[in-house]
Amino acid sequence: MSAEPDDLDMRAAEYVLGLLSPAETDAVRRELGRNPALTQAIAEWEARLMPLAAAVPSETPPGLIWQRLEAELGVRDSAQASIAPLRPRPMLRRVGFWQGTTAAAAALAACLALLWLRTPAVHYAAVIAPTQGPAAAWLAETRPDGALVVTVLGQTARPAGKDLELWALAAGATRPVSLGVLPASGGLVVAANLPRDRLQLMVSLEPAGGSPSGQPTGPVLYAGTLTRTE
Amino acid sequence: MGQAGRIVVPPLQAPGISAFCRATLDFSASRAIYVVKTSGRPPGAPEHQEAALNETPMPVAWEALLSRCAGGDKAAFRQLYDLSAPRLYAVALRITRQPGLAADAVHDAFLQVWQHADRFDADRGSAETWLISLARYRALDLIRRQGREIAGVEMPERADEEPDQLERLMRQREGAALGRCLDRLEADKRQLVMLAFTDGLTHAELSTRLKTPLGTVKSWIRRGLQDLRRCLEA
Repeated sequence: MSAEPDDLDMRAAEYVLGLLSPAETDAVRRELGRNPALTQAIAEWEARLMPLAAAVPSETPPGLIWQRLEAELGVRDSAQASIAPLRPRPMLRRVGFWQGTTAAAAALAACLALLWLRTPAVHYAAVIAPTQGPAAAWLAETRPDGALVVTVLGQTARPAGKDLELWALAAGATRPVSLGVLPASGGLVVAANLPRDRLQLMVSLEPAGGSPSGQPTGPVLYAGTLTRTE
Repeated sequence: MGQAGRIVVPPLQAPGISAFCRATLDFSASRAIYVVKTSGRPPGAPEHQEAALNETPMPVAWEALLSRCAGGDKAAFRQLYDLSAPRLYAVALRITRQPGLAADAVHDAFLQVWQHADRFDADRGSAETWLISLARYRALDLIRRQGREIAGVEMPERADEEPDQLERLMRQREGAALGRCLDRLEADKRQLVMLAFTDGLTHAELSTRLKTPLGTVKSWIRRGLQDLRRCLEA
C-alpha cells in the first residue's frame, strides 16, 4: 500500500478517535463532502472503534434531557405534541408583538386573558419577565395533569458558557427548588408536584449545566408568580 | 418465522420510565420477535443493569426503532432513548466530565436522531455506531469549544480500570473482537488508543497527560491503530 492512502486512513482513524485539534478536525469535515475515500475510511473506523463505548459503564442520564426533547419536539410536531394546545399562537410568537408591549403588566394581562379565553383547562399561569425591563420572556402554565409547562415567548440572551435555571419558591418557603435549566429554544415540561397558588418562579444566571450547589448562585434575571386564571 | 427471545431489561432511569420498557416490542418486520419486559429490580444496581444491557441484541432493536423514528413514530423514539441514552450519556460524561455538557451532547444527538433518522444508512454501520458517534462527536465539539479546565466529575485512575474495560468490552457480542485485538496490542499502544477513545483527548493532551513527547504519542497511536486494523481484518 502506498503512503498516501495509508495516511488518509490514519487521518480518518485519528478523527474518529478525537485526537485532532479543532483546526485539524474542521479540515477533515470540510474535506468530507468532496472526498468519498475519506468518508468511507471514517465510516469503517467508526464501525471498528465505536464498540469501545461499551468499555465505559452505562450512566443514568438526567431526566432533564428527555424533558427538553419532549418540549422541543412537542413544539415542532403539533399533531402529537403533548403541549401543543398550550403553545403561543403565531401572533404571540411574533417578536414584534412582545417588543411592542411596553409594560410587563400589560403583557401579563393580555396573556392571562388569552389563556383564559382559549384554554379553559389551564388553572394557573405566570408570565416570567425580566426583573428590570418590560418584555415577557417565558409563559408558565399548569397542565391538567399537574405538570408545569414553560414556553419561550421572547428573546432571552444568555452569555456564552452560562445557563438560565428555573426555580420555584412556594409561598412561605425560604429556599427555592430547582426546576431545571431552561433550554435556549423551545420549552420545558416540569412534572413537579408543587403548590401552585402564588408560586414564585425565578430564573437565575448559572454556570453551564446549572447551579452546582442546588441553590441559585447568580443574579435573578427574570421572575413571575403563578396566578389562578379561572 | 424466527425464534422468540425473552430479554429482561431493568429500569434504566426514573421508575416512571419503566412503563415504556414494559411495553412489548413486536418487530414483525424483523426476523425475530423480541419481548422486552422489565424486572422488578430497583434502579441503582449498576452491575445487573450492565449485564442485562449486554445481553440485549441491540443492533437489531436499535435499528428497528430507528426506522420507526424515520416514520415519525414518537413511541419508538422514546423506546430508543430509554435503551440507548444511558450508553450515550456515559460516553459523553466521560469525555466532557461535566453533567451539563454531557446532557447537552446527548440532547443534541437525539435531536439529530429524530430529525435525520432517515439519513441512517445500515450499509455504512450499525445503528449503535451511528448513535454513539453522534453523541461522541458532539461531546468532543462541546468540550473543545468550552475547555476542559472546569473541575468536573472525578474519574477513576487509568491503571485500575483498564482490565475492567477490556473485560466489559469482550462480554459484548459486538465488542468481543475489538477487545481481543486490543488485548493483543502492546500495553503502551493499547493505553493510548483506549484513553484517546474514552476520554476524547487530543494528541497534545495525551502527550501532557502521559508526559510523553508529542511525536512519540502520534507514532505509537498510528502503529497501534494499524495493528488493530490488521488484527480485526484477519
